[in-house]
Amino acid sequence: MTNSEQQPGPAGPPPRGRIAERLLPGGEEPDPRFTLANERTFLAWIRTSLALLAGGIAVEAFTSGLFIEPVRKGLAVLLLLLGMMLSGGAAVRWLRVERSMRTKAPLPLPLFVPLLAGAGALAAAVVLVFILWR
Amino acid sequence: MASRAPGHHGDPGLQPERTALAWGRTMLALVTASAFFLRWLPTYGPPILVLPVISGSAALAIYLTQRRRYQARSHGLAGESIEADLTAVLWTAFAGVVLGGLGIVVILVS
Repeated sequence: MTNSEQQPGPAGPPPRGRIAERLLPGGEEPDPRFTLANERTFLAWIRTSLALLAGGIAVEAFTSGLFIEPVRKGLAVLLLLLGMMLSGGAAVRWLRVERSMRTKAPLPLPLFVPLLAGAGALAAAVVLVFILWR
Repeated sequence: MASRAPGHHGDPGLQPERTALAWGRTMLALVTASAFFLRWLPTYGPPILVLPVISGSAALAIYLTQRRRYQARSHGLAGESIEADLTAVLWTAFAGVVLGGLGIVVILVS
């Protein structure tokens, strides 16, 4: 018999954790390079999110002589909210990409890219108006 | 960082190294965020220390797991199988959400 050729050996895919089975069900492990690339992209989004958080803190801490209080607090909350959404969104996107790779489906579009670009453009416009106005 | 010779995994793209460096950059960003949070200390008082403690703990957790993470990835790549690091990803994102949420609460409540 030559059944040893096709049967999976004892060293098959390692058992996955319960959370992994639940959040990343089905499919098969993608190319490890893609998994690592997905993780690096996630981390880049997290750093963007942390930069927004730091920006929000900086606006609240350093601009008391520049903006009136409602504007200062509004800007700080907006930046912190954006950073918070970006953190959560980065994890959701990482999960969606990982699931797509497992099932060899097309990768999802990053939905928060237009949001972030719009917010950046709005912030630049506000600063421009503010500089010209003063 | 690694105890083995570079290139143990045989990947010319050095994926485990690049990923470890990406975690390292994120760790530094968390430390920077901690320093920024400390700027709120004179305004909001000692309770604000919760924020730098959270971001500092996240940075410390990354630092303490760097070696294990690199070795697991290096070995995994050599065997062409790496399991997605769900725990690290979810905890990191959770830390970002909590930091942003608490920051908003601090600004609105004060």
